[in-house]
Amino acid sequence: MIKEYFDNLIQGIENSLNENSKKISPRKAYALELARFGSRLYSENERIAWCGLTVPFDLLSAMNITSCFVEFVGAMLSSMGSVSDFIKEAEMEGFPGDLCSYHRSIIGATKKDFMPKPDFLIGTSCPCSGGLAVMENLASHFKKDFFVLNIPQSDSKEHVKYLADQIKYMVKFIAEHTGEPMDKEKLQQAILYTNEAREIMAEVYQLAQSVPSPTNSQLLANIGIAYALLLGTPAAVNIAKIYRDDFVQKVKSNTSGAQKERIRLLWIQNRIQFKNNLINMMEQEYNAVIVADELNDITWEPIDPDDPFTSMALRSISIPFNGKGQRRIDHLIDMAKRYKIHGAINPCNWGCRQGTGMRGIIEQSLKKIGVPVLNLEVDCIDSTNFSEGQIKTRIQAFLEMIEERL
Amino acid sequence: MYYLGIDIGSLSCDAVLIDEKKQILSSSVIPTGAKNQEAIERVCNEVLMKKNISKDQIKAIVSTGYGRERVTDRLSSVTEITCHAKGIHALIPEAQVLIDIGGQDSKAIRLNNRGKVQDFAMNDKCAAGTGRFLEAMARALQVDIEELSMMDNGATELITISSMCTVFAESEVVSLIANGTAVNEIVNGLNRSISSRTIGLVKRVAPDIDGLSIAMSGGVAHNKGVVKALSKVLNTDIQIPEKPDTVGALGAALIALERS
Repeated sequence: MIKEYFDNLIQGIENSLNENSKKISPRKAYALELARFGSRLYSENERIAWCGLTVPFDLLSAMNITSCFVEFVGAMLSSMGSVSDFIKEAEMEGFPGDLCSYHRSIIGATKKDFMPKPDFLIGTSCPCSGGLAVMENLASHFKKDFFVLNIPQSDSKEHVKYLADQIKYMVKFIAEHTGEPMDKEKLQQAILYTNEAREIMAEVYQLAQSVPSPTNSQLLANIGIAYALLLGTPAAVNIAKIYRDDFVQKVKSNTSGAQKERIRLLWIQNRIQFKNNLINMMEQEYNAVIVADELNDITWEPIDPDDPFTSMALRSISIPFNGKGQRRIDHLIDMAKRYKIHGAINPCNWGCRQGTGMRGIIEQSLKKIGVPVLNLEVDCIDSTNFSEGQIKTRIQAFLEMIEERL
Repeated sequence: MYYLGIDIGSLSCDAVLIDEKKQILSSSVIPTGAKNQEAIERVCNEVLMKKNISKDQIKAIVSTGYGRERVTDRLSSVTEITCHAKGIHALIPEAQVLIDIGGQDSKAIRLNNRGKVQDFAMNDKCAAGTGRFLEAMARALQVDIEELSMMDNGATELITISSMCTVFAESEVVSLIANGTAVNEIVNGLNRSISSRTIGLVKRVAPDIDGLSIAMSGGVAHNKGVVKALSKVLNTDIQIPEKPDTVGALGAALIALERS
């Protein structure tokens, strides 16, 4: 069913491109590449590794592994509108309703045989321990080996070396499971792609900071998370170029990516994955545009081809969710300033300790620089308890409040 | 010309009619019931009939409340947060913090000195501490909602209702009744339960609460026991307008005047 879904998606986008001779929109290009990735993941012809979010995906790609973080499946099932059966399955297995729905849906999908069987699993201790526990569950279910990268909380020399050494062991672990040692030339090529994509995406994010922004609330939504899956491949470079070309043109002509931009918003953590009308309502009724997502940023330096494991270790450590909360707050404040943000929305994803645990401190910290924060109580994956009217009222009141300040 | 504000809440449907000088000419509050379209029509007719004014003399209507988009001939719809702030500033200009407890929402709103919303916090998706909560408790105690508001006289703060969930709180109340606990003590426990939940919202928007002028709107402001419990925790008097349940509709009417 899921392979079919991705194949139909690919077919649909390709057909619309053939029928319509105009250039491909950045979001469609991104969706097409993700659909191709999803199709490979479910093809049963690839070597698969289920992973944590901060695994070096480009390194795995260079070793011919189709690797994916497990939360991708939760987001996909939610956007397909079919997540509730999987969540129910997890609950029937005894997993409580206040566990993160990304992870509940993965457990349900595994039980219902909707997760491709991996060759092995590589977890990461960051950003959350819940994900790690779910992966351990998967490893036990599939009876496959599980390697864990313990991501240190700081980028001290010792910590970086500690993680770089683990990555070296990880390469050995993969080679033992595939029977193929790492091909250094392939790795060098992957690093070239990663660095080129990184440079262009940094430009894209820089352009998105323009007023008006060339992005709208959907163009870059969640891109920072799943884009990592394409690193080390030409697809990552192609997508980045399409975004850059589109944004350069819009910035030159002073054109907003939205119909009209009046209120600039920062979305904290991840978006609501299932279909809803909130984003359209915000743009159409209030000209309020999400110009920045917390997770859309380049926080790492280019990968050093002569010392890739150290660079990759630094990259994994650099994500703002790692380490002290102050690091995440500093990053949010920096983003709010760079993007000239009027207000921030935190969905406070139900069951997510990252999403809810820091909400008060984030709110107070952003308020200090004049950026109000709206904390919602939303399950970003499971629409079962979603009351659009209630959420809409909170968002509308928030936007009315910001309008009065402009 | 006249301006009409309509507040379609989950429990009551309220309307306020004003003139160009912002004078309140009439107001009306009726139960929303299951058919809010009918309630809207009825409350409009009521408020107009009181002053013998016809519909075509209305220059603009602004709607608010959860059913705000059901008003077909509106100039615009505005959330209840903005409308309550607007309404209370017109009635109690010195108010800096507004507590609004309606049928299914409770809110704390921080106002700036121009009566604009500076910050707000709302209850999450739960009826605890709202009018619906009180309705359920009145049902458990087999009294009507007006009686409930007077029933904590003489209580000694003996009872604490520990459940915040409406359903669990109702069964807690039933157990207390079964144990022979005095009704005034149970009601007092309920009032303190609501106030403790509401204070959480107030502190989020006004950590510097001491010395601020606090007002209250919404149907629950009629409940003397809840107001008393809130005042006690806040250690200050709470100002309540004469018709607290029409504050949102008044704000909507004032916005209709401004925008037309």
